[in-house]
Amino acid sequence: MLIRIALKQQTVGLIALALAGVLGGVLNALAFIQIAGTTPAERAAFAQQMTLLGAQLSYMLPVPVRIDTLSGYLEWRLFGFIVLVFAIWAAISGSGSGRGDEERGLVEQWLAAGVGRARYLITRVAVFAAIATVVIGAMQLSIFLSAGGEPLSAGELFAMGVNLLAATLCCYGIALVIAQLVTTRRAAGGIAAGLLIALFLINGAGRTADIGGVRWLSPFYLFERSRPLTEGGALDPVGIGTLLGAGVVLLAIGVVTFARRDLGGTALPGTSRESRGTRSPSRDPLLRLPVLGPLRQQRIWVAAWLVGFVALSASLISITRTIVDSLTSSEVPFMRAYFERAGLSVYDSFVGVIWLSTATLLLSVYAIIQVASWSADDAEGRLATILSAPVSHTRVILERLATLLVAVGLITAASSVAVYIVAAGQAITLDGGRVALAAALLLTIPFAFGAIGQFVSASRPRMAVVALSAVAVFSYFIQQFVPLFGWPDWVANLSLYTLYGTPMSGDIKWAGVAGLVGIGSVATAASLVALRRRDVGA
Amino acid sequence: MKDLAIETKDLTKDYGNGRGIFDLGLRIAEGEVFGFLGPNGAGKTTTIRLLMGLIHATRGSARIFGLDCDHDAVAVKRKVGYCPGELPQFGGWRGSEVVAYVAGLRGDVKDAAITAFAERLDLDLGRKYREYSHGNKQKLALILAFMHQPELVILDEPTTGLDPLVQQEFYGIVRDARTRGATIFISSHVLSEVEHVCDRVGIVREGHLATVSPLEDLVGMRAFRVEIDFADDVPVDRLKRVEGLDQLVVTDHRATGLLRGTFEPLMAAVAGTRVVGFTSREPSLEEIFLTYYR
Repeated sequence: MLIRIALKQQTVGLIALALAGVLGGVLNALAFIQIAGTTPAERAAFAQQMTLLGAQLSYMLPVPVRIDTLSGYLEWRLFGFIVLVFAIWAAISGSGSGRGDEERGLVEQWLAAGVGRARYLITRVAVFAAIATVVIGAMQLSIFLSAGGEPLSAGELFAMGVNLLAATLCCYGIALVIAQLVTTRRAAGGIAAGLLIALFLINGAGRTADIGGVRWLSPFYLFERSRPLTEGGALDPVGIGTLLGAGVVLLAIGVVTFARRDLGGTALPGTSRESRGTRSPSRDPLLRLPVLGPLRQQRIWVAAWLVGFVALSASLISITRTIVDSLTSSEVPFMRAYFERAGLSVYDSFVGVIWLSTATLLLSVYAIIQVASWSADDAEGRLATILSAPVSHTRVILERLATLLVAVGLITAASSVAVYIVAAGQAITLDGGRVALAAALLLTIPFAFGAIGQFVSASRPRMAVVALSAVAVFSYFIQQFVPLFGWPDWVANLSLYTLYGTPMSGDIKWAGVAGLVGIGSVATAASLVALRRRDVGA
Repeated sequence: MKDLAIETKDLTKDYGNGRGIFDLGLRIAEGEVFGFLGPNGAGKTTTIRLLMGLIHATRGSARIFGLDCDHDAVAVKRKVGYCPGELPQFGGWRGSEVVAYVAGLRGDVKDAAITAFAERLDLDLGRKYREYSHGNKQKLALILAFMHQPELVILDEPTTGLDPLVQQEFYGIVRDARTRGATIFISSHVLSEVEHVCDRVGIVREGHLATVSPLEDLVGMRAFRVEIDFADDVPVDRLKRVEGLDQLVVTDHRATGLLRGTFEPLMAAVAGTRVVGFTSREPSLEEIFLTYYR
């Protein structure tokens, strides 16, 4: 029974990750076969181009090796990034197992039914491990079947699968431990995801600069030490051993801590329940104001995002000069010409590319998390409480979006100031007006995502996060694969990220911006109709 | 007759498989305290959510103070206070923040009123919501329902989780609200809850309104719980033949039963026996309630 319920709770993650993994695997394999050519000369030219691209993306993806082969291409392009996707999934699942069920009172029910604490959590861990194995297995199988005549052995794929599974379990262990230290799933998931992204970036920074032993703290570095696809299936014993060892230790710490702490409490000392002892309502005037009231309640969450985003932006900009200099000092004339043509030999353009591409992705994640909380408002009765006051459905919809945009506005404003200041410190002169405009236009991304999410949330609240995540994944893949497959512009414009464009590296794509605003506006109007028609709490 | 606070006509919410509420016709006058009784799943909460405009009727209409509950939902809620049966979750919010936030949504709430209710119900607003016991969450929900002194208060099983002392305080709050002219609509499956405060009671069964009666009519039904102690053996055969005596239970020298109608047949049956104890009381609403469901 316990296993069945744990499986049921992981169904959405299983389907979503299996789809993303299989889709990503198959598309990347097909893309390679499509664009890499067949002759040695074509393969060499392709490898040269991808090496250029790899150098630009070294803050995100591992340095490409044997990129003229499908194995090397997948190791770089697919597994270099999808490990982060699996890590975030592990963070969400780990925080759900370690805190989410407890918040909903399910753990209390299980314990009351005679299930031991250790057994409960070990079951959850085992189910997650089983599901992760199935998802990774499905992805590897789909890649194997899509490889066509390219040399790609089952053994190599199996080794990479083991490596990815070890990294995923290690990240799950991190989330499980964090869940023991806080009292809400939201905090656990947020901290775990933030920490994992930070560890991902630390590993990225370590590729272009000497950051010493800090890199060993990152499970992504340990994952990256093994290159089984390009080394005939060999796993780095230190990397895989440390990953597995760390994973087991973290999971054990999570289980033991869970068994020892109070239900509903944290494992940290000195967090006893204290009351301010009052009969009066809060005097904080912000609470009683539209938009500012909900924003005030999210202040810690928004502040964490703001600090994290500023730190991320600053770290990306701080390595800009190093990366651009290394790119433009290439001894290959073709490479220098390529960078100049792409505008990537210019510092400010490069800033635009790495800052804004990262920002669009992360802000869409922020919007998805907000949409999840709107759906929870419905399921947990808060929406009914709000609508029991003289508040119209229109106000609910507009206030949610306004709150989202104000929060994102604060985050992007702080980030753009950080980008400007850090760039100046690097002797990179940015056009302040263009930075401000690019930051302002960033709001169109969470607006479109938020409005679409609002519509789904108003229609089918339980589907909102899955549907919006699908939009994000679809947009990401479209953006990535249109150039590779040479698909037409109208296909490219199906991606919300493509519609935003690259406003610091070229002309602003006003039609795309208008498209995002249009999508947001239509979805907002549709969500108004949907929320009015639907039964609250149904 | 006073103006109507609540009026429903053929109000129906059909969830399928016989679940929901069907063809509900209610007329509740201003200033009335109305009890809406029924077992779990009878359709009480569905009715309340229809009145609050949170769900849409399959057919029929519901009006509060002449305003349509669906189309004029915002105007309706200016006049209504609501305590839901299923309490919302406010996680890490403090009680003081929850009431301030909802007060901000309403815009017509005096802080002094909130403080007064918190003191009456003995609720510490400084604690985080997730740290509240179920009873304290219920108290907070009651404050949210009463704090703006609404013309109509709709309460869905409001005493759930409250200890007896706080329940008495709650009845006092309801009486005070009635004194200032408010209408109260209380749903419950605990009959003693409405016994304390209601003028009229509607009983709903399997989605259909079984009856609406003044409380005294229900209480005054000719039925009594009788308990007779005999010095010798109980005259069981004679008691079994008493017209209107049901649920006869005999233990040792004691007989209990529910008597409908007059006492004369029972008195005749026990004549000549040595009765050492005889008690009779009016049936509780629970017992009346059960007669409707048998």
